[in-house]
Amino acid sequence: MGAFHPSPPGGPYRCENGKVVFKSEATLEIIQARSNKLRGAIDPSNNTFAWSVETSSFNGFNSPLQREHFNENYLESSKYPRVSFTGKIIEKIDFKTDGKYTVRAKGKLFVHGVEQERIIRSELEVAGNKLRVRSQFTIPLSDHNINIPHIVHQKIAEEVSLTVEAELLEREN
Amino acid sequence: MVLVCSIPLAAQVPLFRPRSAPELGGARMTVLLQDSRGWIWCGTEKGLFRFDGLSFQTIGLVDTFAKASVTALFESQGHIWAGFSNGAIGRVPISGNFPSALTGNIAEEKKHKPYLELWQIEEGLPTQKITAFAEDNTGGCWFGTYGEGLYVWKGHRLFQFNMSDDGLASNDIYALASDAQGRIWAATDAGISLCTMSEMGKKAVKNLGVQDGLPDEIITSIQADKLGNIWVGTHEKGIVRFESSSLRPTFSTTKWTFGEVSAIAVFGTRELWAGTVRDGLVRVDLSSGIAQALPDTHPLRHAKSQALFKDREGLLWAILDKGLLYSANVRFGLWDTEFSNVQALLTDRQNRFWVGSQTGLFLQHTAQAGGADQTKFKRVLPQNVISLWESPSGEVWAGTFGNGVFVLDQQGRMLRHYTEQNGLANGSVLSIGGDQHKVWLATLGGVTALSTAGAPQVQTELGTSYVYKVFNDSRGRTWFGTDGKGLAMQENGVLRFFREANGTALKTIYSITEDKQGRIWFSTDREGLFRFDGVEFKRFTTENGLHSQQITGLAVDGNGLLVIGYEDGFDLLNPERVNHLMFCDANIGAPSSGVNLNAVCSDKQGNVWLGTKDGILRSAAFDEKFVDDPQPGITAVSVLLQSVDFLSTTTFSHSDNYFIFNIAGIWFTNPESVSYRYKLEGFDPDWKVSKDHLASYPSLPPGRYTFRVQTSEHGNFDHVPEASWAFTIQKPFWKQWWFVLLCLFAGGGLISAFVRSREARLRQEAQLKRERVESQFETLKSQINPHFLFNSFNTLITIIEENPRVAVEYVEHLSDYYRNILVYRERNFIGLQEELELVNSFSFLLQKRYEQGFKLEIRLQGKTGQVMPLALQMLVENAVKHNVISATRPLTVEIFSENDGYITVRNNIQPKIKPEPSTHFGLQSLISRYQLLGEKPVLVEDDGAYFTVKVPINL
Repeated sequence: MGAFHPSPPGGPYRCENGKVVFKSEATLEIIQARSNKLRGAIDPSNNTFAWSVETSSFNGFNSPLQREHFNENYLESSKYPRVSFTGKIIEKIDFKTDGKYTVRAKGKLFVHGVEQERIIRSELEVAGNKLRVRSQFTIPLSDHNINIPHIVHQKIAEEVSLTVEAELLEREN
Repeated sequence: MVLVCSIPLAAQVPLFRPRSAPELGGARMTVLLQDSRGWIWCGTEKGLFRFDGLSFQTIGLVDTFAKASVTALFESQGHIWAGFSNGAIGRVPISGNFPSALTGNIAEEKKHKPYLELWQIEEGLPTQKITAFAEDNTGGCWFGTYGEGLYVWKGHRLFQFNMSDDGLASNDIYALASDAQGRIWAATDAGISLCTMSEMGKKAVKNLGVQDGLPDEIITSIQADKLGNIWVGTHEKGIVRFESSSLRPTFSTTKWTFGEVSAIAVFGTRELWAGTVRDGLVRVDLSSGIAQALPDTHPLRHAKSQALFKDREGLLWAILDKGLLYSANVRFGLWDTEFSNVQALLTDRQNRFWVGSQTGLFLQHTAQAGGADQTKFKRVLPQNVISLWESPSGEVWAGTFGNGVFVLDQQGRMLRHYTEQNGLANGSVLSIGGDQHKVWLATLGGVTALSTAGAPQVQTELGTSYVYKVFNDSRGRTWFGTDGKGLAMQENGVLRFFREANGTALKTIYSITEDKQGRIWFSTDREGLFRFDGVEFKRFTTENGLHSQQITGLAVDGNGLLVIGYEDGFDLLNPERVNHLMFCDANIGAPSSGVNLNAVCSDKQGNVWLGTKDGILRSAAFDEKFVDDPQPGITAVSVLLQSVDFLSTTTFSHSDNYFIFNIAGIWFTNPESVSYRYKLEGFDPDWKVSKDHLASYPSLPPGRYTFRVQTSEHGNFDHVPEASWAFTIQKPFWKQWWFVLLCLFAGGGLISAFVRSREARLRQEAQLKRERVESQFETLKSQINPHFLFNSFNTLITIIEENPRVAVEYVEHLSDYYRNILVYRERNFIGLQEELELVNSFSFLLQKRYEQGFKLEIRLQGKTGQVMPLALQMLVENAVKHNVISATRPLTVEIFSENDGYITVRNNIQPKIKPEPSTHFGLQSLISRYQLLGEKPVLVEDDGAYFTVKVPINL
């Protein structure tokens, strides 16, 4: 490492192993899958953030077949390997003061090659050099050009929900 | 079985749409007619209107019609004929200027409003209500009355058929029809009278009654079809069809309970709609004869029907209840079933419906309720059924969501059940296909094949992806539509994948079907529609007119049309004319809430049935050809905001250069959907696409133009019909070819005349000069000719000694003479006196020589004027030269004037025996010199005694 840099708002927070839970509640079937490979960073100096997860890292489908469909047909993982969300936190947060904050993260959600601007409400907890993030939101499949015949919506919901939980650690620059 | 077949037909109800007509001002409609150009004419209690699908245009009336209502309409000889309740008849041309209300120039519109003109004939018109018109095959125009019998207008005479004189069944005529044999069928209270009128004026009437097969004496409506049948509606006993050549009934309705038939509209050989007075509209299935009114809950169930007709697009039009106009696209109709969201459909070998929904599988059956047959469904499976198939042996296979596949018999009893436990790839079966030996199940986990003998076998080559469709074509091939792996086809045990078509990657295939030519059509999730003819693929997208590229179902109907289902309607596409599509949704009377994935089937008659959220929708395949494009027309042309008679006028002057075209696209199916494309050939480089009914061109330069207009209901203008009008704007006259040519000729003529006159003048001048020079030369020559000089000197010798004084005088005269010749020769004219001096000098010389033999008498006292120099001298000299001169025969030369503008030189003729050699130049030169100077001609006269020359004198 190089020279010591004083950094008043604190260094960026990072994590490599956040949790994402995907859930589709259709009439006939509930599909749930999770990934522990969510990577993320929040930079208190300018309130920006970046999240990303590889779609192939999801596990826990009802069957291996379902996992294959998820990757091959719907998310086309080979073509669009990542789902990401990058942007800025609207609220000003005092990262020096421990406590729970509700913030709105405004940014670009990139799924299946289609970018959508979203505002996602998140719970933020500052505890020392740790930052805990928790958020739940929905993704309408049609927003991201994922086509499913109407009748198959009995099996796959038109909107899937995502739950994100991550703990970020402050790092020196 | 026949009974069962008919029920789906009757059960589905078309969407009847009221056509509001605020322009009618509340007048009730009475009669309808579509003219040969497509417009619908509406007769009302208060006049006549023309309807283009969007608005009603008033036709002006003369007073005779004012208090009567229109009771009959007919088209003949380019006119619409309207019969009235007071017996009057009027006519109006069907084409011509019909400016729409959009020009905004109200005064102009009023001026050019089409008028219904009273038909005036010598015989006078009836006084009773005109009930119907008909035309026979020799051009005779027939009209029926209520009370005065039947009239025919033939050869510019009017004839009447009535009960007492001609044996007409009754004088009260309800309706008329004409057959191919040229007979007029008149419907009366006492049967039908078949009437003819020969060219010779011979009338013939044959009556048909109950004994001839009419079910009822009172015939209330009658109509001919294109196949040579006459359809007869009766007062109480329903409808019967007569074959017109044999006059035998060939069809009749069964169990008619709907009362008086007021009108009939026949659709192909399958279906008929009747208007009734008591029970509204009644649909008749022509294969069974069963008639069914609208459902009891329908608002029009008991709407009294006055008039009914089928238009060129296949729409049914009806005047119902209180004279209101309705239309329905009876090709489409929703069968409102007790279950919602139809996911799978099948018509079995008995033409019964099997319907799969989330709440189970339902089988159609017929129940007796209150004496009438009613369509019911019984539930034969409680599962969520998403696919259906009938095997060649008559087993019905029902695929479910998650519960495998059930096999049932024709009564709906379960025979077998296969699940994942039996080896199915997946419990959700999206599609089923097969043949005598094999059944294919398309599941959410790949394809499973079941042979009739062995156990289920998973087709591993097709993978574990979703498979949406399995389809067996007419050549024994099996096609699979997969999710992600494209299209697959198995033929003779060999599986082949199609992953790409003309550069488009094939991934997800939802639907597959086969057209009548054996071509395979398939749809993708978002790339649109593809056709595969065995060799190459062709792709169709929204650019080709498809409503959407997300297609949920495909089927081919009995007319060969491809039915393309979407989430919000369906397209009808003619595979032979692939750019033609008609999108069907509620706007055109196809109340479709979206077609569920592959929930389509076709029945034995070729109708296609579509499973939707709201029920089952029929798209009927009538065996009759309908117009399937909006028909373009030019309805009016105005020049400088003045309507012009554009049918007869096509040439305009250069100042008539502001053109407005009114255009229309007749498309009653969905008038709002019509868009126009127009182009003024000769002016517009490209087509203009518009929804506007006006096209204006403010200042057209002179030229030849053709205004072309095309119409389309879906914005795609390939292979659409066209209307055009050619006209010429003339150049102003100063730009006309003839004028320009005339100017050129005139200018050229002027120049050439000028050049020619100048040339002539120059030539004349040159000639004159030459003549003068020659004349001078001749004169000089003659004067210095040795003879003259010798004579003069001889004379001089004789007198020089006798009289020297006279000799001196003689020499002076001689010298004067020569000097004068030298002085005057250059001039064109000299004074008469100067010439006379010269002549006197010359005469003096002659006198001295001839003494008494020569006499010169000059009688020109006070005469003035001008002559050519040496003219008179030359004449005197000529006289001396050509005549004998002696004392006994003196030569007398007289010079005088008769005050006629001439100087006359005359001498007596005494010809020499041996004429002096002569060039004849002198006189000839004098004549031509006068001629060249444009003077009066020199006159020469020789009467034997005197030689006279008259020389013009210039004043």
